[in-house]
Amino acid sequence: MTASFDAIVIGAGANGLVAAHYLAGAGKRVVVVEQRQAADHSADIGWVPPRVIRDLGLSQLRLEQPDPWLTVPLDGGNTLELSRDIGRSVEAIRRISPADAAKWPEFSQRMRTLAGVLEKLYLAPPPDIETRDPRELARIGGLGLYVRRLGKQAVIDLARILPMAIAELLDDWFESDALKGALGALGIWHLKQGPRSGGTAFNLLHHHVGSPAGVFRPVRSNVTQVLEGMKRVEVRRGNRATVLAKNGRATGVVLEQSGETILAPLVVSSAPPRGTLDPVAIELDPEFARAVRNIKERGVVARGTLTPDRAPPPSYANLCIAPSLDYLERAYDDAKYGRDSAAPYVEVQRFDGNRLELHVQYVPPGTHEGLAQRVAQVLKVRPDQLQLQAAEGSLYHGELTLDQILFMRPVPGWSRYRTPIAGLFLCGSGTHPGGGIPGAAGRNAAREIL
Amino acid sequence: MSLRTTPFHARTGPLSEGQAWRRWAGYVVASSYELAHDREYHAIRNSAALFDVSPLYKYMITGKDAARLLDHVVTRSVGKAKVGQVLYTPWCDNDGKQIDDGTISVLAEQTFRMTSADPTLRWLHLNASGLSVNIQDISDTTAALSLQGPSSRAILQIAAEQDLSKLKYFRLTSAKIRGIPVTISRTGYTGDLGYEVWVDAAQAVPLWDAVVEIGTAYGITPAGMLALDVARIEAGLLLIEVDYFSSRHALIEAQKSSPLELGLGWTVATDKERFNGQAALEAERRRGPSWQFTGLTVNWDSLERLYTEVGLPPRLPSQAWRTSVPIYDPRGDHQVGYATSGGWSPLLKCYMALAHLESSSAAPDTELRMEITVEHRRKQATAYVTPLPFFNPDRKRA
Amino acid sequence: MKKYDAIIIGGGHNGLVTAAYLARAGKSVLVLERRPRVGGAAVTEEIFPGFKFSMFSYVVSLLRPEIIRDLDLPRHGLHILPLESTVTPMENGDYLAAWGDHDETRRELYRHSPRDAEAYDEYGRLMHFMAQAVKPILGMVPPDPTSFSPGDLVGLLRLGKHFRGLGAERLHALVKLMTMSSADFLEEWFETDVLKATKSASGIIGTFLGPRSPGTAYVLLHHYMGELDGVFRAWGFAKGGTGAVSESIASAARSFGAEIRCDAGVAKVLVRNGRATAVVLEGGDEVEASIVVSSLDPRRTFLQLLDSKDLPDEFVSDIRRFKFRGSSGKVNLALDGLPSFTCMPGIGRQHRGAFSISPSLDYVERAYDDAKYGEFSRRPYMDIVFPSMIDPGMAPPGKHVMSIFVQYAPYTLNGGWTDAKREAFGDAVVNTVESFAPGFKAKILHRQVITPLDIERITGLSEGNIFAGELALHQLFFLRPAPGWAKFATPVRNFYQCGSGTHPGGGIMGASGRLAALRILKDGR
Repeated sequence: MTASFDAIVIGAGANGLVAAHYLAGAGKRVVVVEQRQAADHSADIGWVPPRVIRDLGLSQLRLEQPDPWLTVPLDGGNTLELSRDIGRSVEAIRRISPADAAKWPEFSQRMRTLAGVLEKLYLAPPPDIETRDPRELARIGGLGLYVRRLGKQAVIDLARILPMAIAELLDDWFESDALKGALGALGIWHLKQGPRSGGTAFNLLHHHVGSPAGVFRPVRSNVTQVLEGMKRVEVRRGNRATVLAKNGRATGVVLEQSGETILAPLVVSSAPPRGTLDPVAIELDPEFARAVRNIKERGVVARGTLTPDRAPPPSYANLCIAPSLDYLERAYDDAKYGRDSAAPYVEVQRFDGNRLELHVQYVPPGTHEGLAQRVAQVLKVRPDQLQLQAAEGSLYHGELTLDQILFMRPVPGWSRYRTPIAGLFLCGSGTHPGGGIPGAAGRNAAREIL
Repeated sequence: MSLRTTPFHARTGPLSEGQAWRRWAGYVVASSYELAHDREYHAIRNSAALFDVSPLYKYMITGKDAARLLDHVVTRSVGKAKVGQVLYTPWCDNDGKQIDDGTISVLAEQTFRMTSADPTLRWLHLNASGLSVNIQDISDTTAALSLQGPSSRAILQIAAEQDLSKLKYFRLTSAKIRGIPVTISRTGYTGDLGYEVWVDAAQAVPLWDAVVEIGTAYGITPAGMLALDVARIEAGLLLIEVDYFSSRHALIEAQKSSPLELGLGWTVATDKERFNGQAALEAERRRGPSWQFTGLTVNWDSLERLYTEVGLPPRLPSQAWRTSVPIYDPRGDHQVGYATSGGWSPLLKCYMALAHLESSSAAPDTELRMEITVEHRRKQATAYVTPLPFFNPDRKRA
Repeated sequence: MKKYDAIIIGGGHNGLVTAAYLARAGKSVLVLERRPRVGGAAVTEEIFPGFKFSMFSYVVSLLRPEIIRDLDLPRHGLHILPLESTVTPMENGDYLAAWGDHDETRRELYRHSPRDAEAYDEYGRLMHFMAQAVKPILGMVPPDPTSFSPGDLVGLLRLGKHFRGLGAERLHALVKLMTMSSADFLEEWFETDVLKATKSASGIIGTFLGPRSPGTAYVLLHHYMGELDGVFRAWGFAKGGTGAVSESIASAARSFGAEIRCDAGVAKVLVRNGRATAVVLEGGDEVEASIVVSSLDPRRTFLQLLDSKDLPDEFVSDIRRFKFRGSSGKVNLALDGLPSFTCMPGIGRQHRGAFSISPSLDYVERAYDDAKYGEFSRRPYMDIVFPSMIDPGMAPPGKHVMSIFVQYAPYTLNGGWTDAKREAFGDAVVNTVESFAPGFKAKILHRQVITPLDIERITGLSEGNIFAGELALHQLFFLRPAPGWAKFATPVRNFYQCGSGTHPGGGIMGASGRLAALRILKDGR
């Protein structure tokens, strides 16, 4: 049995749904095919670009911006709480290091300026530096001028900080291990690298996008839920879709479970690029196929939930167990050799007042014996209170390393959501701007298509 | 011990009178066995010359998607070929520029032996993603002989105890020579009646012995690469790294060539599903290629005049050359191309060359000038565009 | 007292190159070197009677061809002998070898992996292109993207045009090389672990990073830039040891009229009204000059030779932030005979090349892990050569010298580099070699162990960093040694910098010395 649409979107995550809604808004008949049967109600982590909210009319969108945004346990039972108000953070930091407290405002401001540059880059397809198109060259020139106008310091920061290791950056600014560990943790989110690895400073800035100065954890929202609730597109669940293509052109998808074929001249996939393109590798030129196979998407994160022992629920919004940069580095060392970290980095994120979700690194693919025990030990809870699932693959569909961003993402030279197969586009986290910015890729891709 | 010897070396080694060896794909092969290569060349056209062509890279491709893989890689239609057929084909990169050329023997259903000049294992694997296919490198375990010349059929028929008169040009058959299983393909690099014999490397020496023993009465002559070079130019057959550069080795765009520019347009299928370079080649076909690969014949009188001017008889190259020689328009001041192989054909009694010419100067019988150095000075001789091959005997296909 | 046109502080190879170019242009030049001989870290010393060692740096390849030509160094004694092979012993008794002959190497690789054998050719070709693509950058003065001056804008545009001219494939490869770890970059090409490990090792030379650390692919490229004349014939020995390189440049400088004074360390540079006017020697003497050039590393140049009041505050903090972090050690041995390696028993042509102790990526990465937390590597990465096998004059007949370059030996060692720690480090090195070549220890006649602290003490290189400052992206090009001061001038007028702490960085290139000299001559017009 076949059905026919104008466009098929693979994946009902934020990016897929955003792309679908943009296409539907332009008058196309769209169907979204989603692998999972049940809708996923976990929160979306990351900045939803305001333009997406406006364009799609997401009035039901709830943004969680907790204050304090991070709680860091210290030796001796105290905690460090970092607030949205820079002054209050300064006071809190002063108690563990007056020198660091003095530097906090300037550090926050400088990082915000750089994150602002990234925000500008993320709301459009990446600059095509190889182009001859005068409009694109003008756009690149405009970007260059924008950065220049931010001042000499910003230009230098951009050149210096982007390739740096977060450990080096933080060591340059601060002395407190606890503060550096808490910030450094953001630099290694979803990366198979330690804080001493280059490119982790960029990763921190990437996750700082959309947050105000001095707030170094991304905002949370329910954007996927809201999008699901909107009726403009049809969503079919419970089937994995495989792309169909012939003679260099996409023709539709086939659904694994039901065997059904859906035809459409336009297929937009928010699934990982590798998984999307592997089945049609024969249609691709070998060098492109090789580049797709070389996409690094090494999973290192386990997510899950923590069931607390007793009410009342904990007061923190985010609890970060990363006592120092060395702690994170040693956790990464284990991952290098294919092992789960003996002393993992754990963050507990509280949603909706009651739900406690976990982010654990490093958990590379493999067997995970004793993982719950190790996490429980770090959190000082019982293993039976934990439920963990290792992601095995990168939740960002491609690590955000410096060689896999901008015009290099997902495959060098193919960063504008197109693929060599006519009618097949990519719109997920594996494309620009990457994971953690729900909807941005979806929007960029849709605009590229239309 | 830097270079390897071929499976036939126990026999070819002692034959070398002048220790004139050269390297080919990491092996040593004879440039000529005798002190000069002339008799070896004449054997190709007069009786039968025996070449050791084992250094060719060879791959066995089998499996459900074997034909599909090869059709994706090469320009010719493999899927439509019949069992027993041998295809000569180039293959290209995504821009339609030629990477290499070789043959594909259809040994059985979904069972192919592919030869190439350069190592091709990696390229085959890169193209095989998502396909159910088995690629095996049999280069070192398969030996090959090439027997070329008017007596070749007679010799092999006796050796294989099989009637080979029905074996058509570019077809193959299996046989046994003194009990040794072989494949015999009616292929070669001389443009003449000839066969290539493929055997398991372990049986190479007994095979050589059998063929030579039987062939001696027919004038069989082991021959080296110098002799082969002359014959291949007469046949108009191009050689990688000499007449064209693999696009994978090219340092600049200008060093790349498409099959259309190399006179191989006939190998580019127009009715196949997607293969590497297809779109680019179709576009080039519509535009017309900017270059042509043709033959050139040097006009004897103009050549003789250049030498007479300095009081010498004409000096002809004693061996085929493989250097780049500029070709000019009739006025002699505008370069329209370059020859890459050339030499004197003892059979045709002419000075021939293979050349790349701008399409506008490549029509047959166009008069051009070829550079010749006479007594340390650069001169030009008249040359005419000659369609290839220079030599095409009936017996080649008979 | 004579007033010179230019005084060069430090007789390392860069300082000597600057001196030679300035003297060739007619300037009166004085080079002041603290040690008894010139060369800095490029010196040959007869540490034990009859045994000559390239004490610190031991191979030559990156020396700029234009410098060799301009200064006619072969006429002044420079003779580079090729190093033809590299053998990597494996822990299972096998080995991986790269020979001078292409076919032979291909066959060797084929033995390990048929696909890697083919990939090796492609990889080599790509790296050749990339080295060509990056070469112009080595020879250019970095344009400053923060300035609005026309010269810088033109420079930036030219740079942009150069990159666009590379074509998509090479541009992408360049981005990868600038950002990836050498392990990840190599993993895209090869499957043989020992091959990846050996190649990635050139990404960690002198670097406080492991093969899996992003940024090491750049160092890989940096070292590949010596491989321009042909794929394998790039690394070589100077006859007479690395000191011969320095001596040949010194001889060229003298032939143009430069004066070189040894045992003449400089304590301070005198600055009056924001202008350098003279230097003060350690002995107290003053020597005047119109221009003063420092070839010392940026920390010594700016924080030791000058008072911080002579420099802008921001510049001083930038220099303080400039990272050194020495991570390399050296063990020089005098041997009674050559060691026989288990993987390739006997003495043969393999001893005319290098041995790389890098059996697997994990091995090299673990060596780094040790250093990360303040220890020297218990099983270190090593690059071993036998100079006497190439230049018999380096040792008495029948005896040999063995040069072992080691990663990692962190400058900041837990507990500090005591004599006991130095010997323990030497033992770790020697024991590791013994595990691959039993019976080797018995052949050792004399042993010299050099730690980063020793490097610093003897040559002056801060923290023993062999590149006079790490080759990390955030301190390269227009950021080297500090943003805005990457063009060999300094905030003090008539005071220049010409050492490896400037663009393009370390390795015995001489590029910094030449570019600085050209800048000085241009300013003088």
